[in-house]
Amino acid sequence: MAVEDARVRALEDLGVLPTGPEERFDRITRLARRVFGVASAAVTLIDRDVQHVKSQEGRHLDAVPRHDSFCHHTLGTSRTLVVEDAAGDERFAGNPLVSGGPGIRFYAGHPLEAPGGHRVGALCLIDDRPRRFTDEERLLLEELAGWVQEEMTRSRELQQAAEVQRALLPSRWPDLPGYDVAGACMPARSVGGDFIDWYRTPDGDLALTLGDVMGKGLPAAIVMATVRGAMRLAGRESEPGDAVRQAAATLYEDLDGMTSMVTLCHARLSPGVAVLRYTDAGHGLMLLVRADGSVGRPQRGGLPLGVLPDQEWREDRVVLGEGDAVVAFSDGLLDLCGGSPETALDEVARAVGASASSGDVVRHFMALARARPVVDDDVAVLVIRRDR
Amino acid sequence: MIEVDVQGTGNSAVLRPRGRLTMVTAPQLRAAVAEAVDAQRVLIVVDLSACEFIDSSGLGAIIGGLKQARQAGGDLRIARVGSQVATVLQLTNLDRVLRPHDTVEGALHDG
Repeated sequence: MAVEDARVRALEDLGVLPTGPEERFDRITRLARRVFGVASAAVTLIDRDVQHVKSQEGRHLDAVPRHDSFCHHTLGTSRTLVVEDAAGDERFAGNPLVSGGPGIRFYAGHPLEAPGGHRVGALCLIDDRPRRFTDEERLLLEELAGWVQEEMTRSRELQQAAEVQRALLPSRWPDLPGYDVAGACMPARSVGGDFIDWYRTPDGDLALTLGDVMGKGLPAAIVMATVRGAMRLAGRESEPGDAVRQAAATLYEDLDGMTSMVTLCHARLSPGVAVLRYTDAGHGLMLLVRADGSVGRPQRGGLPLGVLPDQEWREDRVVLGEGDAVVAFSDGLLDLCGGSPETALDEVARAVGASASSGDVVRHFMALARARPVVDDDVAVLVIRRDR
Repeated sequence: MIEVDVQGTGNSAVLRPRGRLTMVTAPQLRAAVAEAVDAQRVLIVVDLSACEFIDSSGLGAIIGGLKQARQAGGDLRIARVGSQVATVLQLTNLDRVLRPHDTVEGALHDG
């Protein structure tokens, strides 16, 4: 029973049972039915008592009690189960699915394993006529089952990775009297390489970072978590230029080994004196929008992290007047604003001027991103405005 | 898929990626650089005249190639850069390590 408990838990952990039909599985059953020329192809998932049909193509199959199902027998072995003529097979001849309703005569199924090796379902082929099944066909069915298995595993792991990454992003906008600070980050896939971060330093400043790891998806997300950690460690105690230098030194070997690089901008706001000290590491997409509408861009900064060892980064400062805003964003925003840095910087400046709050600016760009049918790149934006 | 034309003479190789140099196609450029370095062609010029778009992964492949070439005692230089590529290089300050050359010849003979 303990083994069966573990098997059922492994199925539940995959998270594919409650999600109903999904195109990524339907695509495989469609292909299987066409390739083998059978009446039905299906992906079944077997919990304690019931065989559920996750995906099916061809003649309709209902969920059935587990012990009536053919796939239940497939679960007993790691190999393909083939029943060329069920009516002539003593194991199945008396089965209600053979003698009754659906009149199954042919069955071939290959078991699907959860990551721990528990067999949780099958990719199966069904027909109402007896049929030969060649060794070649066995191999092909096994290949397709491997594909189904990969889909099941990937979705689960990605979902978990996305949850972890969301937890690494700030959950609330900082509450800093006299200032309005907001930001957001939206990965193009489940997870991504852009990040924003903020935290109070021991001396009462607010440290802020916006970073963009090369690439997208899971590889970028793994690097992102490392970069965020290194920046936090350095940024709590050190001034921006030093913090970037320290984090870059810590990360260089890893980034070099992964042939990755990271652009980022990091700043420290001293709220009492309204001074923002900042450092740019190959990011460049920063803008100062003054209360009077004038717009400024920072001087050119240093290289991205991971390009060359032993680099220094310059630190600049700006005094924020009442109503002045500083915005940083990732290059994913360029696609949303005409494609070039110039058009994007204009659009950002316009949005800042037209918005009542930093939150409105952030919501504006996130809505633009969500309205896109396809978002090609991660999008991150961070806005700091001194109250009027 | 991207095509990388490779022209090798002596210790140099000219690589000419065509189309979009992105996360999808960057590995092909990496492979072409690795192949050139393996064949002792350590002075590499990436001719970007047929590259219409580059993203951070594309830049990463070029930077990776630069490191690889330098480790082998050579260098990697870029030439005939279009406006999108030039903008990205400037924005990321990478034009400091990858100074764009007007011609492939100029890149090959740059001291």
